Amino acid sequence: MSSCFLDEETFCQCCQLLLQHSHSLCDGWSWEQVKGSEEGYLRKTALGTGRTRCNLDQQGNSSDQHQERTFSLSFHNDDDDDDEDDGAVCCIQEESSSSSVVQYEYHILYSCSYQTPVLYFRASTLEGRSLCLEEVWDSVHPNYRQRLQHRPWDTITQQEHPLLGQSFFVLHPCRTEEFMMPVLKAALEEHRQVNYIVTWLSVVGPVVGLDVPLSYCTQVPEPPHTPSRSPQPPPALHSPQP
Amino acid sequence: MSDNAESPTETQKDEPSTPQQPTEDSGMADDKKKIDVLLKAVGDTPIMKTKKWSVEKGRTVQSLSQFISRFLKMEANEQLFIYVNQSFSPSPDQEVGVLFQCFGSDGKLVLHYCKSQAWG
Repeated sequence: MSSCFLDEETFCQCCQLLLQHSHSLCDGWSWEQVKGSEEGYLRKTALGTGRTRCNLDQQGNSSDQHQERTFSLSFHNDDDDDDEDDGAVCCIQEESSSSSVVQYEYHILYSCSYQTPVLYFRASTLEGRSLCLEEVWDSVHPNYRQRLQHRPWDTITQQEHPLLGQSFFVLHPCRTEEFMMPVLKAALEEHRQVNYIVTWLSVVGPVVGLDVPLSYCTQVPEPPHTPSRSPQPPPALHSPQP
Repeated sequence: MSDNAESPTETQKDEPSTPQQPTEDSGMADDKKKIDVLLKAVGDTPIMKTKKWSVEKGRTVQSLSQFISRFLKMEANEQLFIYVNQSFSPSPDQEVGVLFQCFGSDGKLVLHYCKSQAWG
C-alpha cells in the first residue's frame, strides 16, 4: 500500500527539480531558505484575476478604500413636526464585486504535521490593498467555487505563515492524500514514480489562480528512487517554529 | 464561465459506417474537430455507463468535468478530480484538444476521474 505521505527530504528534492524546469521556462519560482535553518520554501509571484469589491465614487471611478458613502435624507413631515427630525443621516456602504487584476504571491511549504506540501498565498490589488477572505473565496476558480462555497471555512482560511509569521491565506492540506491517492497508487502499480510536488501543484494551483504549464507534467523528473519505506504515521506533535 | 450547452457526443463504436469515426490517420487529424476521450473511474467513483465520448477540441476540462459531474448526479459538496496519465491533473481551463495532442495514444485521450469530498 503506497504511502500518500511525503517526507521532507523528498519534498526538497521535488522542489529543486521543479525549480530547474521553472528556470528554463522563466516561470518565476524561487527557493527561499530560512536564515539559520535547513527549512525553505518555493515562492512565486504572479498577476492573475480575482473578484474584488470596489466602491464607486461620484465619477464612477473605483476606489480601493472601503468608504462609507453618507447620504443626508430629509424627512418632511407635514403632519407632525415635533417629534421627527428634520433630517437624518443614513450611511450606505456601496459594494460591487468585479473582476480585476490581482497580485498573487504563492508559497509552497512542507507541513510536518500533515506530511504533505501546503499552499500559502497572499493576494492584493495593484494599489496594494490586501484582499479580504471573502474576496479570495469569490476569486476561486469557477470549477471549484461551488464546492468551496458549500464549506468555505474548511477550504481556504487565513493563518500565520509558519516561517514568516505573517498573515497568509492557506489552502487546507487535510484532504491532500485523497486527491493524491489515485496518482500514487497507479504509480506504485506501474512501478514508476511521480514528482509529488508537480502532481500536487497541478491539482491545487488552478484553484487559486496559479497556472501550472503542461510542460511541468512532462518535463520535470521524479526524485531519485529511494528504497520503499513503510508508511510512517504523522508525528503526534507539531514542533513549533522558532 | 458559461457551460457549453452541447454535451459530448457518444461515440458510435458499434457502427463503423457512421460519420463520427474515431480512428483516422494522423495526417488527417488536423481536419477533425473532435477527439475521442475515454473516461475511466478511479476507486469507488461510479463508472459511467458510456465511457467513450467524442469531444470538441476546444472544449475545456472544466466543461467536461461539469458534464461528468451532472452525468454522475454529484452533490454540491462533492468535487470531481480528473487525471491525465494518472500522473497529474489538467488545469480546468485547458482545452482537451491540446491534451490529446500531448497525451493522446491510439487515437484517444484517456482521462481518469475521481469523486471526492476533498477540502472538507
